[in-house]
Amino acid sequence: MNPGRLLVLALVAFVMLLYISPYGYMMLTSFKPAEDALAIPPHILPRQFSLDSYSRFAKDAEVPRSFLNSFIVAMMSTTLAVSLALPAAWAISRYGSWPGRFFLLVALVTRMIPYIAIAIPFFALMRSFRLTDTWLAVALAHVTISLPLAIWLLAGFLEAIPSELEDAARVDGCSRAAALLRVIVPVAAGGIVVTAIFCFLASWNEFLYALLLTSVEAKTAPIVIAQFKSQYSLDWGSMTAVGTLYSLPVIIFSLFMQRRIVAGMTMGAVKG
Amino acid sequence: MKSVLLLLIVLLLVTGPAALAQDEPVTLRVLVEGGGISLQLAAAELFEEQTGHTVEFVEVPYPSVFEQLAAEMATGGSAFDVATIDVVWIPAFADFAEPLDALVTDEVAADIFPALLADGLWNGSYVGMPTWANAEVIYYRKDLWEDPDEQAAFMAEYGYELAPPTTWQEFTDMAVFFTRDSDGDGAIDLYGTDVKGAPPGADVEWMVHVLQAGSPGVVLGADGSIIVDNDAHLAGLEFYVSHHCDLGITPANPLEIGWAEGENLFFQGVTAMTRFWGHAYRLQQFDLSGGLVGAPYIGPEAVANVGVAPMIAGEAGIGSIPGPWFNIVPKSSENKEAAMAFVQFMYDQNVLGVQEPLGLSARISAFEQFAGEENYESLTALIATLNGPQTIGRPLVPNWQQVNDEVVVPMVQDALGCEVSPADALAWARGELEAMGFE
Repeated sequence: MNPGRLLVLALVAFVMLLYISPYGYMMLTSFKPAEDALAIPPHILPRQFSLDSYSRFAKDAEVPRSFLNSFIVAMMSTTLAVSLALPAAWAISRYGSWPGRFFLLVALVTRMIPYIAIAIPFFALMRSFRLTDTWLAVALAHVTISLPLAIWLLAGFLEAIPSELEDAARVDGCSRAAALLRVIVPVAAGGIVVTAIFCFLASWNEFLYALLLTSVEAKTAPIVIAQFKSQYSLDWGSMTAVGTLYSLPVIIFSLFMQRRIVAGMTMGAVKG
Repeated sequence: MKSVLLLLIVLLLVTGPAALAQDEPVTLRVLVEGGGISLQLAAAELFEEQTGHTVEFVEVPYPSVFEQLAAEMATGGSAFDVATIDVVWIPAFADFAEPLDALVTDEVAADIFPALLADGLWNGSYVGMPTWANAEVIYYRKDLWEDPDEQAAFMAEYGYELAPPTTWQEFTDMAVFFTRDSDGDGAIDLYGTDVKGAPPGADVEWMVHVLQAGSPGVVLGADGSIIVDNDAHLAGLEFYVSHHCDLGITPANPLEIGWAEGENLFFQGVTAMTRFWGHAYRLQQFDLSGGLVGAPYIGPEAVANVGVAPMIAGEAGIGSIPGPWFNIVPKSSENKEAAMAFVQFMYDQNVLGVQEPLGLSARISAFEQFAGEENYESLTALIATLNGPQTIGRPLVPNWQQVNDEVVVPMVQDALGCEVSPADALAWARGELEAMGFE
């Protein structure tokens, strides 16, 4: 191997190490006994391997319940966001009219509004519908975050699909909606999956809206994890254990979908 | 059939899991921070038994107590019938809270620490009933203090007996004495004490010494005027930073040490003394399997070597900043009568909180009932500190949190950098406070 390539590989390995180190440290801390997890100065490797911190998952019903809440909320918001974004993105990319382009710009602008600015009005709205502390309230809040992103991503992916495909479907007797669902969606599946993953992640990790909109029944995992730091104590061990468990579904899912994700990411890169 | 199923699914999604919960005739929703919830659980169960009401605790992280209540206040909501709030939020929610004057009788007032009572008072009305109280005390290692060799060496060097410190000078002497390289490897492995430069902790610990030096309050006077640069503030800051900047008797990285780190350093044997909240002594005796959220388990064996003394005194005597939490009844509550009854009941049964691992209460009689008993040895020190002549609450201004975060903490951190003199740091703080509109 030539020295240049070695240098590049070393640089890549270094950057990867930088990215992975916080997660790795969290995972290693989760296997330390409580007193070791709190040691000052901290030890990178556990001096003694322990699963004590993970026992909270079994003991405390709130933790698994919060995982379930997070999953349901993330699925709901992802489904809603992708379902709404797909026709919007298709219309924008298919017809290329100026109102469509303007709409795309407005969608981007909504991403620039700080979440906290609409948090209280959104809270009031949900309360007036008696929806606070429900999955739907949190999911709707998360849609406000992921929908603009989904429209932008999907518009990029769909622009790479030749319009002749839809034309052919129409000639064969499909309505516009049927053409979109039966022809375009299967072709754009990679891009849709990538979009769905981003939407899912945005919801899975979201904290602020979940903090405001949930209290008991619909509390999501990020809120429960935050509770390990209380006014009187800081339970690093449990916090890192639950954090590790919470990150696993997303990591496993991403690994399984790796091919799709890569395919989807390059999909809009070269337009025909 | 499909449409019915679809409708059911939609209904379930719209109403969420709440629809599965069974309704009770009168349900009180109590907003409380996760760390302190245990102090009210036992009393709440009794309340349910005796009144037939149901108590539903809404347990949230610390910042969420403020966020949720602020959202309720902003939108006129009535999601909570009672909220247990930190003292620093009293001014922010005072106008949103029902007056509790009817509950604070002379008999009640006589059984609550004076500083706590003052903290719950807003515009002449009690808006919060103290639920539990805490204060920083001195933790020291009994194995060192009771060691005859150490006692003799200390006597020889300082000319007085080695006993838990009661004054600034004694505290400094003992911290200097115990700072050492025990294993002779050239590196200090035992520090006399710590200073906290990271929040939370950096703010209160300095202010505690300001009060001990004789200031009538911290940062702002009772009338809201700026007193941050009076003589007592300067003396308190000079004392606080000198342990790090001049004497080197604290771990070298104070800006990374807040309360949690300071507590861990002490219980791991890195420091000989620390200033920390009174609850830790009892809390350390419970392991995680005791069901207590977040107890950093060190264990009874280590606790046997831990002594607790009242907070040290400056020229004006013992002083500390209490950390009480209050029950308030939001004006928007739809169950005010039951909520008031709950607040009264929590006061009446306040002693149950002392029996919890956190071991805290707001009533003097509740603390005194257990003081001196096994596993409660720290309560005597806590009572003495809470009754200290200079134990005074933080200023009751609505934007205290902003003052604390944007002025107090950066100022203490600047001073702990050792390049800015305490006087200059305080002058900067005055400028910032003036820019915020204080005079």
